[in-house]
Amino acid sequence: MNNIKFFRYLAYSIEILILFVLGSTPSLFKEIYGATPCLLVSLAITISVFEPEVPSMVFGFVCGALTDLGFSNSIGTFAIGLTIVCFILGYCANNIITVSFWNVMLATIIIVTALLSIHFLFSYVMAGYADGAVYFVNHYISRIVQTILYTVVFYYLNKFIYTTLNDQ
Amino acid sequence: MKDFLKSNSVKIFLSAVFVVIVLSVFTNSIQSNMVSSTVNSITAPLSKVTAAATNEDNRSIEEIKAENEELKKENKKLRSQLVNYYDTLTENTRLWKFYGLKKENPQFTLVPGTVLRRDPNDEFYSCTLDKGSTSEVSQGDPVVSENGLVGWVSEVDLNTCKVVTVLSPQTSVGAIDNKTSDTGIISGSAKYCDDNLTTMSKLSADHKVKKGDIITSTGISGLYPKGLIIGEVTDICYDTYNTSYYAVVKPYDNIKKITELAIITDYTGQGEVLINGKSENK
Repeated sequence: MNNIKFFRYLAYSIEILILFVLGSTPSLFKEIYGATPCLLVSLAITISVFEPEVPSMVFGFVCGALTDLGFSNSIGTFAIGLTIVCFILGYCANNIITVSFWNVMLATIIIVTALLSIHFLFSYVMAGYADGAVYFVNHYISRIVQTILYTVVFYYLNKFIYTTLNDQ
Repeated sequence: MKDFLKSNSVKIFLSAVFVVIVLSVFTNSIQSNMVSSTVNSITAPLSKVTAAATNEDNRSIEEIKAENEELKKENKKLRSQLVNYYDTLTENTRLWKFYGLKKENPQFTLVPGTVLRRDPNDEFYSCTLDKGSTSEVSQGDPVVSENGLVGWVSEVDLNTCKVVTVLSPQTSVGAIDNKTSDTGIISGSAKYCDDNLTTMSKLSADHKVKKGDIITSTGISGLYPKGLIIGEVTDICYDTYNTSYYAVVKPYDNIKKITELAIITDYTGQGEVLINGKSENK
């Protein structure tokens, strides 16, 4: 690994650590319809569109595991989901699709909606809580929308990091 | 595409997915694990800084004015109640002497803690405190504020612990209406948690619970001390699904925003189940 790549990955790692702490800081993000965004999910997606599949997968796993650990002591839906999704996205972005803002947003909408719906399914529907639809309408829709909106910020931030710390 | 499917990347990917699934099963099957302990230890100093930075009062002037008006009204009410207080106190003292009763207050061992994190994915406002097993905190310990019960410790690391609040359906506390002696179970509900309300379910059909009644813990299970204030009844409803009545209870704290809590690590009667008034070790 050359120096520039090392510093780029270091920048991503610092970004992940800071967003994990900020995302779980009490009262920092104002709750909109009872939910705050899943910052690390947006971040993992935007890293994947710039990096090759294996590094994307590693960053996806780290972001997913930290998102899971923010919720409970165990690794679960997000870690597995983001590991798979980021690998596929990393491959597609480098070989099949052109990386553009609207392509990334489209991918984000699909991925975030799917991941959070799966999380809802495992955490609330299968756990047997009453009023499952109330959680989804009151919290999950807002969380999905906010997470997608934050992707705009992370897309340009990671694009800046990628273009600045790139030897090509 | 065929070349890609045979490439090292795909082999690494499949191996990684296998490892993540194994890790997931491993971390789900044990109470506390190295992964979360390590992450918490690494991020705890940074979390303390950000938590301290956001602990400032960020309410608007309108909110403060409204609270001030409310406090003035309450103050007026309390002043009028104070007039009756001394009469009641004299009578109370006389009654204590007459009956020779002795009031027993359980001795709590309290560990004060600060909220480090609010779990962003939890819908029931659970939080992480900066006290862990090194402060003798253990799973199941009750968590209180100066105004009463807030929740219980669900997971413990070396330096942190996770608190499930009374707004969560995971919580189950034996509760009693101090005025009418009606009993029930305090458990959260999706319908009310956003309004900082919880419910007291399993009320009998002939219950006498009314709005304004104060609800406290029964202490029967040995999991929570007897007499901990949980909140005040704001409404009585009928659950058509369970065909039973339940009371909507408002805790005295805003649990969604509370930052200073204390964990009761030891108290008289801990782990003792009360059966017909007699205690048995659990």
